[in-house]
Amino acid sequence: MVVRQYNEELKYLEKINAHCWKIKKGFQPNMKVEGVFYVNNTLEKLMLDELRNSCRPGMTGGFLPGVKQIANVAALPGIVGRSVGLPDVHSGYGFAIGNMAAFDMSNPDSIVSPGGVGFDINCGVRLLRTNLHEKDVIPIKEQLAQSLFDHIPVGVGSKGIIPMNARDMEEALEMGMDWSLREGYVWAEDKEHCEEYGRMLNADPSKVSLRAKKRGLPQLGTLGAGNHYAEIQVVDEIYDKFAAGKMGLERLGQVCVMIHSGSRGFGHQVATDALVQMEKAMKRDQIDVNDRQLACARINSKEGQDYLKAMAAAANFAWVNRSSMTFLTRQAFAKQFKMAPDDLDMHVIYDVSHNIAKVEEHVIDGKLMTLLVHRKGSTRAFPPHHPLIPVDYQLTGQPVLIGGSMGTCSYVLTGTHQGMTETFGSTCHGAGRALSRAKSRRNIDYKDVLNKLESMGISIRVASPKLVMEEAPESYKNVTDVVNTCHAAGISKKTVKLRPIAVIKG
Amino acid sequence: MNTNFKLKLTALGHPNPETFNCEDEKEYRSVVLWLEDQKIRHYKIEEREGLRSIDSENWKEAYDIYQKDLVSPVVDGTLNEQLNWLLSYAVRLEFADNVSKYKDVQVEQPKQAAPNVVSSNPLDNLNFESPAFKAGVDRVCTLAGVGPHPDPKFRLAAVAKILKTSPHPEPQKSDTIVINQPVDVLNLLFIQDLRELQTKINEALVAVQTITADPRTDTKLGKVGR
Repeated sequence: MVVRQYNEELKYLEKINAHCWKIKKGFQPNMKVEGVFYVNNTLEKLMLDELRNSCRPGMTGGFLPGVKQIANVAALPGIVGRSVGLPDVHSGYGFAIGNMAAFDMSNPDSIVSPGGVGFDINCGVRLLRTNLHEKDVIPIKEQLAQSLFDHIPVGVGSKGIIPMNARDMEEALEMGMDWSLREGYVWAEDKEHCEEYGRMLNADPSKVSLRAKKRGLPQLGTLGAGNHYAEIQVVDEIYDKFAAGKMGLERLGQVCVMIHSGSRGFGHQVATDALVQMEKAMKRDQIDVNDRQLACARINSKEGQDYLKAMAAAANFAWVNRSSMTFLTRQAFAKQFKMAPDDLDMHVIYDVSHNIAKVEEHVIDGKLMTLLVHRKGSTRAFPPHHPLIPVDYQLTGQPVLIGGSMGTCSYVLTGTHQGMTETFGSTCHGAGRALSRAKSRRNIDYKDVLNKLESMGISIRVASPKLVMEEAPESYKNVTDVVNTCHAAGISKKTVKLRPIAVIKG
Repeated sequence: MNTNFKLKLTALGHPNPETFNCEDEKEYRSVVLWLEDQKIRHYKIEEREGLRSIDSENWKEAYDIYQKDLVSPVVDGTLNEQLNWLLSYAVRLEFADNVSKYKDVQVEQPKQAAPNVVSSNPLDNLNFESPAFKAGVDRVCTLAGVGPHPDPKFRLAAVAKILKTSPHPEPQKSDTIVINQPVDVLNLLFIQDLRELQTKINEALVAVQTITADPRTDTKLGKVGR
């Protein structure tokens, strides 16, 4: 890494408009394209402070600051357009979380990097609507939260209540949501309203290690730990009446359920296995990168293809996982309200994935190109009339689900044409961490966090209360800042704001 | 190329097709003038001055403008290509003027072996010979800058090629409504078709589910983590 004074570093950064900064070539060695990041004034300060801290003498170890990571990604072979940092960007393994980058499939040097997908492959958000009003739920809120908690096992080492054997697992990995559909855990309409229709067709379970399968098997239908949660939310504000109507969100106070989860230990193992393989491939193919964490392989190499196939299987696992939790949520509601989920209108509004790499077609400089788009902590946000979004959202643009931090609010956005040209149809994914987990544990008391939630009228069920301070809102950037920046920059459009009334988490 | 020219000049009734030499600049120019004067008659007589001054240095310029006015597809081609197109165009006009005279001429067609397929796609049942179709193609071609050709299907293929390769020009401000309204209508019709298709897909999935679905849960398996 180049060592420079903070003032020297700033010369490589240029604010091109109120919400967008450019990272010029030379900020990190070998940059093939420029970098760019989207911020407002508050987030801008966080970004630059992080860079300033890393410039102080003696600051070594740990993750590089987000700006540096965006620039390192811009130096990867085969990258096209720009390396994009979304407003919730923060340091991650190799790639920053909240970074998207696209690689030209027709360039034999182009690479795929597990660091550009993340360890929790196909971590994502699903939103269910109901026809209930807040006032229907308030009287039995505690029971409902408990019922959800009983149905959906949470926490590290939790085990699911849907019986699965090894053969079911193989089929689920290959079929994704089609497996859940066949077995009757979800509705046909759920598949329609899911990114990629809930199934990556290139999944190949034979490319997944036995170890990953063993880890994943008992975890299907569990929420996991960390920032994952299931929340009962109510519509707090509607910004775009037409788009909200298309999603079936008609009035304030309408009750929704948001599920934020991923591929659990399975995806983590797939990523870990791939990193080992890729280090060998890099030596063989002499791929040079700025940061050891950016382990990668050529897309067309055996390692690259094996990873993409295993990653697709992990993505399918995550969709089956969220589908199983959809089933369990519907059951929990049905029991509490003694009504069929159909009658409660518990439809999936949409299901987005914010840790994934996919082959997509984009227009670069007026030319149609096939790209491998890495989105890590970044959500696909396709514009109206895009062929890959469900027919119900052809006029509004793809719904984008942004989960806030625990106890704050969440948002539904829609994709825009501007986002399609500027950020390869990508936008933010959530609040984005501001403090590291360790720092949060040191600075915040878990009792304060729980008391604060209670005072806000939010029921909470957690498996490990002593870890909630890691997820306290204070540990995160303000999701409203993040979402407003995306809206103001035009890369996605605000539709609905949701406020939690009950949270269950690991 | 010379035999080709000879054939077409003869058909057009040129006085001395046998001796025409396309490499000779003067002869080339006089044939072009002859074509305009006698056959094509695109300009009014007084507008033909530029082409008439065969010895002038400005002739080339006038010729270029003339070709552009005719929307020749080979303005940038070689001189021979340009003349060949002009000759073909003149032949076409000559034919169009006397269709009744020429249409009885029989050319032996090889027998069609393909079976008669009835298609349900309305586009396949278009009458390509209808004047409305021809006029429509004509208008689109003028907009896209596609030159004349006797077969409207051929011209349509050319338009399709142009639309695929070159980016669509931004409509003029005054035209946006005229252009956007039909686009919106087409979009909505398309979405309606898509919705019907998706509903049918969902119905098929539900039908299969009645046979395959057996969702089970076993709470004994559940375990809350740390």
